[in-house]
Amino acid sequence: MNRTNATLVRHASRALGVAALLGLALAATQLSAPVDANAQDETAAAVAVDPERGEKLYALCAQCHGENGAGNPMALAPSIAGLPQWFVEGQLKKFKNGARGTHFDDIPGMRMRPMSLWLKQDSDVVAVAEFVANMEKAEPVAILEGGDPEAGKAKYLPCTACHGQNGQGNQALNAPPLAGMSDWYQLWALKAFKAGIRGTNPLDTTGALMRPMSMTLADEQQMLDVIAYIGTLSGE
Amino acid sequence: MIERYLEQVSTYAGDIDGLINLIAWFVGVWFLVAEFVFFYLIFKFRHREGHKGEYITGEEKHQKRFITIPHFLVLVCDIFIIIGAVRVWVDVKQTLPPADATVRIIGQQWAWSFVHPGPDGELDTADDIKTVESLNTEVGKVYHFQLESRDVLHDFSVPVFRLKQDAIPGRIISGWWKATKTGEWDIQCAEICGIGHGVMRARIKVQSAAEHASWMHENSPVASIASAN
Ligand SMILES: [Cu+2]
Repeated sequence: MNRTNATLVRHASRALGVAALLGLALAATQLSAPVDANAQDETAAAVAVDPERGEKLYALCAQCHGENGAGNPMALAPSIAGLPQWFVEGQLKKFKNGARGTHFDDIPGMRMRPMSLWLKQDSDVVAVAEFVANMEKAEPVAILEGGDPEAGKAKYLPCTACHGQNGQGNQALNAPPLAGMSDWYQLWALKAFKAGIRGTNPLDTTGALMRPMSMTLADEQQMLDVIAYIGTLSGE
Repeated sequence: MIERYLEQVSTYAGDIDGLINLIAWFVGVWFLVAEFVFFYLIFKFRHREGHKGEYITGEEKHQKRFITIPHFLVLVCDIFIIIGAVRVWVDVKQTLPPADATVRIIGQQWAWSFVHPGPDGELDTADDIKTVESLNTEVGKVYHFQLESRDVLHDFSVPVFRLKQDAIPGRIISGWWKATKTGEWDIQCAEICGIGHGVMRARIKVQSAAEHASWMHENSPVASIASAN
């Protein structure tokens, strides 16, 4: 190897080394960004939301809830696309503070709780909730069988007080829309409320309201009937 | 050496660290020796004007000594490592000292939940205490655990105990520990188990006898009903 060649190789390998180091450093800042950036206290009111941030963060949610937010029963993840922002925010905060996902028998909730802890700052919760709320509603796959919507209509009457005649929900009463919610998830939620798996944590004050209501459904058949009826609602 | 960075809180943590140190010393010394020989040979046989490379077949005994001598020395080191490893394995994993209490540990995607025996000291009775993310134990007591998984492979790891045990769905795996001091430490999952693996954590509390008894009394479903009446 002559001298010019040797110098060239030396320069090139040094440049490569520097590039690799820079790359590593960059990767490190990228990795730590969600944890450390703006770690100072933020009040929910003064949160500046970056719409691209919500989309980025949703990549994590998409692993179970799907790219389109239609949910995935195999991953115990309900449909979430188009849910109101206040509701998504509220539930994320409940998972974060342990009001949900910390009961011994709450198997789906325990999957969600650690994922919610990735959202280190209030602004992240708001950003991802906004992104989810702006997603186009996705029709979840119906997997329950044996529900009779006619029989469920009467049983749905007590639900209308909060969730509305058409299953549209009511923010003033902390009631989420039911139309468009995964049917298997509704069944799980009703059973969980009834069994005290949900709505019993002292921090879950809004969930506590649902617990006595779940008691109005005597057995699984009545739950299936109500869910079948909710499946016919427009949500408008 | 290791305890300077991570406390030792179980009776066998020192044995495990000793084994890691033993291997680190053997491997470390051999690494330095091998590097020294390499650089020495590179220097000795460097290119010089008037010296031609020599072709050797490497069959002569004195030519092979760089391989045969280290080979036998490494085997001797291996014997020490194997003796140490088997001794620790038998003490930690194969011998179950009699239990003072037994807890059930359940892994799932992505949380640890625990069943404590409650004041009666028996699992699967009405006074069992079920918790998520937090395991309460007493210092100086031999705990047996029954490790289960609700879905996929997990691994119950308590770094300060130097305890790691795979959880396998469909099986109940036994093991033990005896904590040597009170405090609160991390429980981790040490077997990749899905997207939430890295945040699947819990805490272990090692309490004094009095603290643990009052925790038990406050949290047992039966005890609290009894005291409410
Ligand atoms: Cu795990």
